[in-house]
This record gives sequence, structure tokens and C-alpha cells, in this order.
Amino acid sequence: MNKLEDDIRRVFAEVWALEKGSEAPALMPNTILLETGLDSLGFAIFVSSLDEALGYDPFTLSEDAFYPQTFAEFVAFYERYRPNT
Amino acid sequence: MTSFAQQIAFGGSNPIVTSDDGRILDGLSLRNIGVAQGVKPNSRIALKLDDPLDIVSALAALDGQVEAILLLSHALAPETAQILARTAGCSLFVSDMMPEPEGGIAVKRLEAVLGSHRREIPLLTEWLMTTSGTTGIPKIVPHTLRSLTRSVYRFGTSTDQASTPVWGMLYDATRFAGLQVVLQALIGGGRLAVIDTTMPLADQVSALADHGCTHLSATPTLWRRLMMVPAHGRLSLRQVTLGGEIADQPTLNAVRAAFPAARLSHIYASTEAGVGFSVTDGLAGFPLTYLDKAPGNVRLKIEEGVLWLLPPVTGLVPSLPGIEVDDAGFVRSGDRVLVEGERVTFLGRENGLINIGGVKVYPEAVEAVVKTVPGVALVKVSAKRSPVTGALVVAEVQLDTEADPDATRRMIQDTCRARLDREAVPAIIRFVAGFTTNAAGKLVRTGG
Repeated sequence: MNKLEDDIRRVFAEVWALEKGSEAPALMPNTILLETGLDSLGFAIFVSSLDEALGYDPFTLSEDAFYPQTFAEFVAFYERYRPNT
Repeated sequence: MTSFAQQIAFGGSNPIVTSDDGRILDGLSLRNIGVAQGVKPNSRIALKLDDPLDIVSALAALDGQVEAILLLSHALAPETAQILARTAGCSLFVSDMMPEPEGGIAVKRLEAVLGSHRREIPLLTEWLMTTSGTTGIPKIVPHTLRSLTRSVYRFGTSTDQASTPVWGMLYDATRFAGLQVVLQALIGGGRLAVIDTTMPLADQVSALADHGCTHLSATPTLWRRLMMVPAHGRLSLRQVTLGGEIADQPTLNAVRAAFPAARLSHIYASTEAGVGFSVTDGLAGFPLTYLDKAPGNVRLKIEEGVLWLLPPVTGLVPSLPGIEVDDAGFVRSGDRVLVEGERVTFLGRENGLINIGGVKVYPEAVEAVVKTVPGVALVKVSAKRSPVTGALVVAEVQLDTEADPDATRRMIQDTCRARLDREAVPAIIRFVAGFTTNAAGKLVRTGG
């Protein structure tokens, strides 16, 4: 597991704890993000918290809108737009 | 003047409203539904119903038979509903869940106001809608069936069942966007598919697909979420409508790619002016040529970066406090716009109102709550763009010198969660060293 994926899991767990007050569910590569129980607002806070933690937001950087369905797709999306520095 | 019941396109015994729990309404029954003897022509009735089928039945029964119908969201607090009903001069609540209040307005169940009485010549019933917003009492905006159906497209009543539009219902039917779906479906010559919107979204998408949904209207936030549901490919949509929030280009592109066979529209609606128009070229904003001629006979102008609208039916302009109307009758929408080349795009609200996935939040209301937290010296609440919900609430906080940042952050979160709607709770709290103030000593607010 790489550092980016670690960071994403950590931020997910933080947002989950704040929004739901419980322990976050396990994220497997094929986990459907929408089925984790995080709603639109929760997901928006997750993406925004990742922006604060990682310093970039691929949803804003990408020219075309892309909506990752699984956790693996989500991580790959962040990998693709990771700044080179 | 014809009533809602008379305008229902399909008057036969085929279902025109279907629910995923198996219940149906047919056009013949809806056209003939009447009111009970106690319902008088001068009755002003507040509707606070949860079930969309009940709402449709109530509207079919009451329009043309009473003086006014006040449409209240079932999500409103009972006290707020009472205040609105009193303001609107209502003498009766029709509700499935409100307790009989002491000394308040009487409450009856829907069955008690339905009956067999119908005036031959319908009255011009007022349809009173309310504005949305997470703080304060909503405002009442007067409409008539005519003003609400101005943009309804009549498909005609083809007997070919396969070509009949099936509108999916994802909105609250008592709100402007939801009512538009109801009226479009039933007057426009279609069928309304009601599903349980409390189910997980993947189940809602499946239910809509099972209903044969071909026409769907939702907020950009909900469309973005829908496209994250793997089963969205099961929907064979012919019409995709976005409304309730600014539709940005990436979202429009994504919806077009996901539903290539569908006609794509995004709706601009102004509560202040009580009108709206739709844009169908798939591009964000609207063409500059709309300033010469806009759809639906609405007239538009831009002054100092703010859009003004002249509604086609005069006398319907809501005379609400805080709504500005100029000598020519143009209503200030409060929406800031940018003209670039041949396109006009929306920037946000001039009063800083934040739209989070269709839920409107006043920054001042959030600031008022954050200010009560010990350790907070100054606070400024603004919007941060979100690719998911359009916007999120950001609070910038200047701390008292002795305050502990971590403890204060937690206390701000706890206090806001206890006293504000979820959307209004700051998603991001930033500590800053100071703020810019204007000549009046007020925090400088830049719209977002």
C-alpha cells in the first residue's frame, strides 16, 4: 500500500468519525464508494479535506468530469493527478 | 380558465401516477375528484403532506374550488408551518402527521376534505409556494396554475404507451422544482413515477429503471452522485434536466457523456421573480442573445453584474420585503453574472447566500452561531467551491490571544452541529491572524 492510498484512508476515517461518530468501514479496492454510507455532503467534505491534506483536488484539476465508482478507481484518479514535485 | 384536474392530459383509466409500493392514480379519477361539503370557495388551505400521491390528489381536488392553496414541505417544523399558514391567512391544515395544535389552525386529514362537490366554473386559485433556506422563516411566493405551467411542454396524448414520457420524481413535490415535474408529467401528457427517496441511491436508480423512467430532473449535485452509481447505465433517459443549483460545464459534459441519447436541459429559476427559463445547448450559463429574446417571454437585463428579470404575467411579482423592482417592472434576481463573449454565466448570489447541493445557507446565520463559542474573536463564513456539492461552508476564525486552537475548533464543531442544519456546519475551519474591515468596520464579504 503506497503513501497516497494511506493518506486517503486516513482522511476517510477522520471524516467518517466526524460525520458518523463511529469507526469507518473497511475500504477494499472494489468497494463502491456510494455504498459506504457517506452521502453527498459527507463525500464533498471528504474531497475537500483531501484537498487540504494533499494540496490538490483532481476533480477540479481534470478537464472532464470523472466520477469514480470504486475505491480503487478513486485512488487511481488521485494518483493520476498527483503533482510531480 | 381551466383547473389542474381539467388540464390533466390522460383522462382514461390507465395509471398516470405510479408508486414503487404498487399504488397508482389514474387520470379519470383525478379529473373527477371533488371536495367535501365543508370546503368553501373562500377557503385558504395549507397542505403539509408527505406522500406525493396525496399531494397530487389534493391539488387535483382543490385547484379551482378554493381561494388559495399553501404548499408546505413535509420537512418543515410544525411551528414554522403554523407561522406560514397564519401569514397566508389559512383556516385549515391538511396534513397526515401534524398533531392538532392548541389554539392554532385546525388540522384535517386529506380524506376529510375530499368529496364529490365540484364547481362547474373553476375559481382562480392562488398557489402559494415557499422559498427554501436553512435559516429563518421561508417567504411565501404567490403563483397561479397559469404562472406555474408557463414552461410545461405539451407532448400530446399519443396512445403509443412506449413513447409516453415517464418522469422520475426525486424532488419534494411541494417545492418549485418538484411541482414543475408533477405539472410537466400530468399536464404535459406523461406518467409520474414516484419512488421512495429515502432508499439508498443505488436502489432509487434501480426503482426508476424498473418504472421505465425516461425523463429525469435533479440538482447537479444529485446528478454527480447518480453517475457514481454503477447501475445508472440501466436508465434509458430521453430527457435529462438539471436545476436548483448552477450547472457547471464539467457536470453538463459528464451527464451528456453518461446519457448520450437524452436531450439535456438546465433550468434557471428565480424565486424572487417567480420565473425561470431553460437552456438546451449543453453549455453552462445562457446565450447573450437571451438579453434580446429569452425563452418563455421572460425579459432579461444585466445591471452592475446582476441579472434582472421581467416576468411575462404582471401582477404576479411577489411584493416581498427585500425584493427590488424597478420602474419598468424588472425584478432584481440577486444572482451575479459574468458576460464573456457570447455567453452569460452565473457566479453566485450577491448576498453571499451559499448553495450546498440545493440547500441554501446564509453566512450571517452561521457566523452568529460560531461567534457564541468562547475563544472566538471574529469569524467570517464564506463558500468554497466543491466538485461534489457545488459549494461547502468555510469558517475563517480569528482567535482570542489566550484561546487553545484545538479545543476551540472542537467546540465550534460541536456548537454548530447542535444548532445548525448539517449543510450549514462549516466543513472547513481555518484560523487566521486578522481580517480586512471596510470603512463601516464590517468584515469585507466577497460573494461566492
